[in-house]
Amino acid sequence: MTAAPGSRTPTSRTAYAVAALALLAFLAVPLVGITNNAIRLLLTTFLWVTTSLAWNLLGGVTGQVSFGFAVFYGLGAYTAGLSINGGVNPYAAIAAGGAVAAFGSLLIGLPTFRLRGPYFAIATIGVNEAVRIVMSNLEITGGASGLRLLQAGRFSQAEHYYAALGVAALAFLVSWRVMHSTFGLALRAIREDQDAAADVGVHPFRCKLAVHALAACLTGLAGGVFAHYSAYIHPDGVFAFATSTSILLMPVIGGLGTLSGPVIGAAVYSIVQEEMVVNFPQFHLLLYGALLILIMLFEPGGLAGLWRRLARRLRGRNAADPGAGIAAQQQPTGGGS
Amino acid sequence: MTDLLSVEGLTRHFGGIAAVVNLHFRVKEGEIFGIIGPNGAGKTTAFSMIAGSLVPTVGSIRFRDREIGGWPSQRVVHLGICRTHQIPRPFTGMTVYENVEVGMRYGGRRTPPRGSIADEIERILEFTGLSGWGARPAGSLPTGNRKRLELARALATDPVVLLCDEICGGLNPTETADILSLLRRLRDGGITILYIEHDMRAVMRTCDRIMVLNYGEKLAEGTPEEIQDDEGVIEAYLGRRSWMGRAEPIEERP
Ligand SMILES: Nc1ncnc2c1ncn2[C@@H]1O[C@H](COP(=O)(O)OP(=O)(O)OP(=O)(O)O)[C@@H](O)[C@H]1O
Ligand SMILES: [Mg+2]
Repeated sequence: MTAAPGSRTPTSRTAYAVAALALLAFLAVPLVGITNNAIRLLLTTFLWVTTSLAWNLLGGVTGQVSFGFAVFYGLGAYTAGLSINGGVNPYAAIAAGGAVAAFGSLLIGLPTFRLRGPYFAIATIGVNEAVRIVMSNLEITGGASGLRLLQAGRFSQAEHYYAALGVAALAFLVSWRVMHSTFGLALRAIREDQDAAADVGVHPFRCKLAVHALAACLTGLAGGVFAHYSAYIHPDGVFAFATSTSILLMPVIGGLGTLSGPVIGAAVYSIVQEEMVVNFPQFHLLLYGALLILIMLFEPGGLAGLWRRLARRLRGRNAADPGAGIAAQQQPTGGGS
Repeated sequence: MTDLLSVEGLTRHFGGIAAVVNLHFRVKEGEIFGIIGPNGAGKTTAFSMIAGSLVPTVGSIRFRDREIGGWPSQRVVHLGICRTHQIPRPFTGMTVYENVEVGMRYGGRRTPPRGSIADEIERILEFTGLSGWGARPAGSLPTGNRKRLELARALATDPVVLLCDEICGGLNPTETADILSLLRRLRDGGITILYIEHDMRAVMRTCDRIMVLNYGEKLAEGTPEEIQDDEGVIEAYLGRRSWMGRAEPIEERP
C-alpha cells in the first residue's frame, strides 16, 4: 500500500492550525463540565490513537505488518502496574512502561526482522501467543487472574484524561517528525523495496529495529496509562491476540502511511466499540470484516484516502480552472529539505 | 592504471545449478569493463555478488586492498560500489526526487554534494535526463525513464565503481545512444564502470575491455577487437559470424 503522494510536503498552515485547535479543545474538555462517560470515551480514543499511530510507523510507513503489538501494550501496562504497586510515581511508572516495551521490541525484532513479509507477520503472532501464555502463568504478576493496582496516589479522572491526551499528542508529534525526516525517507524506501534500499546504502535491519522500538515505546506508554486508569489488568486483556488485531485494524481502516488515517481509524473504532458492543455484541466484528474487505478492494488509502478523493472531486467540480486540481497534485515535494 | 577491483575464483551455486563458476577478472581504474554472454550465463549473478546482494559460494572479491566478498549491500555501497538493476526497481510509491534522495542521504558519499542536497539531486536528474520528472511518482515512469532513474539513484551515492546491468535493455536506438554517451561521460569523470549488455554494437563501441561469460564460466576477455575475432566467442553465439555487425540486440529481451 502506498502512502499519500507528497507526504513529505511541508505541512500547510491549515494543518498546523487544525492540530493546534484540536489540542486546545481537548485540553479544555474537562473544564467545561462534560459527563464522565464522555471523558472516558475520549480517553479510550486517545489511547487507541496512540497505538494506531505507533503501529502505523512500523506497518504503514515501513511496511512491516506486525500482529504482536499487544505484547508492547501489555508490557507497558504490567511494568506501570507493578511499579505503581511498588510505590513509584505514576508518571515515572508509565514512562518505565514505555522503556520496557521498547527493550522488549529489540528482543523480538532481532530474530523476527530476519524474516520478511508474511513470515514476519506469522512470527509476531507466535511471539504474541507465547508472551500471553507466559504472562498467564507468571506468579509474580498474578498469573491469569491478573494484576490489581493499589489505590494509593490515584489520579483524578481529569488527570487520567490528560495523561492519555499527552501520550496521544506525543505519538502524533513523533509520527509527524519521523514522516518528515530523512529516517522516514529510509523507512518508506524499505517499504517499497527493501533490497533496492540496501543497494543504495540503507541499512534495513537497523532501521526496522529503530522504528519498531519507537512504536513499541509509544504503545507501552499507552498501556501504562491504561493500566493506571483501569486499575486492573490481566493477560487475556492487554496481551490478547484480539488486542493486537485491534491495534492493527485501526490504522488499516483509517489509511496507512499517513498521519490523519490512523487517527481517524482509532476514532471510528472507539465510537463503534462504544455503540455496538453493548447493543449488538459480535456484530461489530462483522462490521470490521466488511470494512476491511471494502478497503482492500476499493480504497487502499483507507477512510483518509476516501476523504481525500471525495474532497478532490468536490473541489474539482467547484473550481473555475479545471487545471487547478492537477497543478496542486504536481507540486514538487521534498525540495525544501 | 591500477586494478580497482579483482575477482578470484568467484563461484555461486543455486541448489544444483552453478550460475557462476570459478570466475577470475580484474577491472582497472577508469575503464568501462563490458560483460557479455547469452541469457543465463551468470552475468547478473556475478554483479549481485560484487554488489553484496548475493553471498558468494566461494571466491574472493577485492576492492582496492579490501576483501569485500560476502559484505552486505549497504556496506559495499558505502565503500563506493553501487549497482543498477536489470529490471528497474524504483521505490514506486515515492517521487522520482525522493528516490534519488535516498541514495544521496544514505549512500555514504565520499564527496559532499556541490551546493545543497536539493541542488545536487537536481543536477543528477538533469544529467540523467529526468529534469522535470522530480515530482512524479516513480511508479508512473515509462520504461526508458525507469532505467534512467536506476542510474540517477545509483549516481546519487557518489560511486567509485558503477555496476550497470543492461541499462539499455528495451530502449530504442536514440535512447540507447543517449545512455551510452552518459556512461562515457561518467567514465571520463573518473568513475569505473562494469557494464552488462546484450546489444553488441553498444558494447563494442563503448567498452574499453570486454569479458565473455558462458554457462557461468569465462570464455574470453580482451579489447573489443580481440573479442570480435575470438573463435570461441563466435561459436558460443550459435556460430553466427555476422552477429557483430547487427544493429539490433542479438537476443530479443523481454
Ligand atoms: N535467485 C536464483 N535462484 C535460483 N537460480 C537462479 C537465481 N538467480 C539466477 N539463477 C540462475 O542462475 C543462472 C544465471 O542467471 P543470471 O541471472 O546471472 O544470468 P544472466 O547472465 O544475467 O542472464 P540474462 O542475460 O538473462 O540476464 C540462470 O540459470 C538462472 O536461472
Ligand atoms: Mg541478467
